[in-house]
Amino acid sequence: MRPDHNFDKHALALDEVRLRQIIDAAPNGMLMVDRHGVIVLANTQVERLFQYDRSELLGTSIEELVPHAAREKHPAYRDHFFREPQARSMGAGRDLFGLRKDGSQVPVEIGLNPLVSGGETFVLASVVDITERRRSEERIRLVVEAAPSGMIMVDENGSIVLVNSQIERLFGYDREELLGQSIDMLVPASVRTKHPQERASFFADPRSRAMGIGRDLFGQCKDGTQIPVEIGLNPLMTEGERFVLASIVNITERKRSEALLQEKLLELERSNEDLQQFAYVCSHDLQEPLRVISNYNQLLASRYNGRVLDEAAGEFIEFTVDATKRMQELINDLLMYSRVQTKAQDFASVDCSTIVDMAIANLKLAIGESNATVICEPLPTVKGDSTQLLQLFQNLISNAIKFRSKKPPEVHISAESIGNSWNISVRDNGQGFDMKYANRIFIIFQRLHNKEMYPGSGIGLAVCKKIVERHGGRIWVESAPQRGTLFQFTLPKLD
Amino acid sequence: MVNQLKILLVEDSRADARLIMEVFKEEKIHVDVDVVRDGDAAMSYLYRTGEYENKTSPDLILLDLNMPRKDGREVLAEIKADERLKSIPVVILTTSQSEEDILKSYNLHASCYVAKPIDLDQFRKIIKSIDEFWFSAVRYPPKL
Repeated sequence: MRPDHNFDKHALALDEVRLRQIIDAAPNGMLMVDRHGVIVLANTQVERLFQYDRSELLGTSIEELVPHAAREKHPAYRDHFFREPQARSMGAGRDLFGLRKDGSQVPVEIGLNPLVSGGETFVLASVVDITERRRSEERIRLVVEAAPSGMIMVDENGSIVLVNSQIERLFGYDREELLGQSIDMLVPASVRTKHPQERASFFADPRSRAMGIGRDLFGQCKDGTQIPVEIGLNPLMTEGERFVLASIVNITERKRSEALLQEKLLELERSNEDLQQFAYVCSHDLQEPLRVISNYNQLLASRYNGRVLDEAAGEFIEFTVDATKRMQELINDLLMYSRVQTKAQDFASVDCSTIVDMAIANLKLAIGESNATVICEPLPTVKGDSTQLLQLFQNLISNAIKFRSKKPPEVHISAESIGNSWNISVRDNGQGFDMKYANRIFIIFQRLHNKEMYPGSGIGLAVCKKIVERHGGRIWVESAPQRGTLFQFTLPKLD
Repeated sequence: MVNQLKILLVEDSRADARLIMEVFKEEKIHVDVDVVRDGDAAMSYLYRTGEYENKTSPDLILLDLNMPRKDGREVLAEIKADERLKSIPVVILTTSQSEEDILKSYNLHASCYVAKPIDLDQFRKIIKSIDEFWFSAVRYPPKL
């Protein structure tokens, strides 16, 4: 049915008006140009974008808006479009710029659409200002370049779109050799066939995560070598396209240190076993002949004293018996010292207040005999070996009681939080000692008194020091003659 | 004609064995003691083989742990695994104070575990308590 001509014209006029309204309201710049390149239509956005009034644009050549560098080629592009008019984006692969009235350039994206009106073909171009997009692209590029680890950006097809210089260094390629290529070129041949599948599953559920948890990952370098790597994956959405941004870290060094650590641990275990055996031999096979000497000396003394043996002989025997007893004690103490390492338990949470209560209970006799008072402020729960911590506190309290002054001994225990450890103090009102001996007292078997007055092999503080150091702490002392003694040591906090 | 208790003392150290005997003598402990010096001899004695043909079953075994070749732990295991021997109480009398040894001995059904003290006076006290307990207070099963 032939449309009514008048109706047509009216309808067309209405359509034209509407068309103009639509075009003017468009968020993109819209330019309509005839086959000679003359601008016949320009919308408000174009005015804003190029800083022209449309009256200045209508009737002028489109080349006015093209930067000088590209102006020569432009007519040829126009002709090409009109010969094969198809809706498409302009200048694929090229960076396009528009020239503003003030001479400045603006980066743009241009979409071209053929339009037929009144029997004539025009091109309707949509022009988008991509300054912001380029700025954010540039920002991404800078961030990626500045990253300390290798960064590589890959699109959904697995093509490399961005690399940083760390990647170049890591894999031995120049970026030109990588850009546009498939990421699979950096994947070792043995796992290459599986890689596209992994990429697909990533894009199916794009989340920031580490790649290949539980697996050892390797990258393939230009020279054919493989490097152990750790890979973090991050989904990236930009301009409606999906990418994955991968951070790649060479973990060769880390693997080497891990291997070294394992070796050292093994060595330590072996040395510990040796020590244990040595300590056992020490305790057993050394003690046995000592016992015989001691026992039979005592038997001699008890059986023959006064009859065959005179008083002098009795004293001689006593010396030998005492000596063997001391030797037995020394051997036991050495054993105890070595046990700090060989019988060490794994660290657990230990309440120091409970430990001190146990120590006090164990020292009940000594505390009673000396009329001692032990004042214990609230103590923290620490990370440690409960058996050894008991030894530690017990040794210190026992020492405080043993080396007392004429006054009844008073022992004061307190704790202070310092950084990520506890600083524990054990203060007494005992005899004290000259600070020039401060370092010696922690050395094994070093004593400041003769053995008749103060029995003991002198290992207690050496054991304390070993225990504190095993817990990663330090122990030190302050004292003065007749002014009491303050022992302080640090223990790790329970984290 | 006192019916004396028969004790088998398994102890490799002559000095230690002699010491026990001397203390028994001093403390006037009257028991009939036979001494063997290693695990193989102990089993021969108990099975009455070889030179021990004419022996009778002991009432109590005092057993040292550390002996060359077959040690006290093996002897204990063998005794308690044998129907004819397992009812004989075994008192471990040893120098070892290790927890492993103590646990193992009780697990293998030793009647009790005595660690020999270093000091002679302490040792005397222990022997006296063994006498009071094992040689007076305690009752023994009939001999097989």
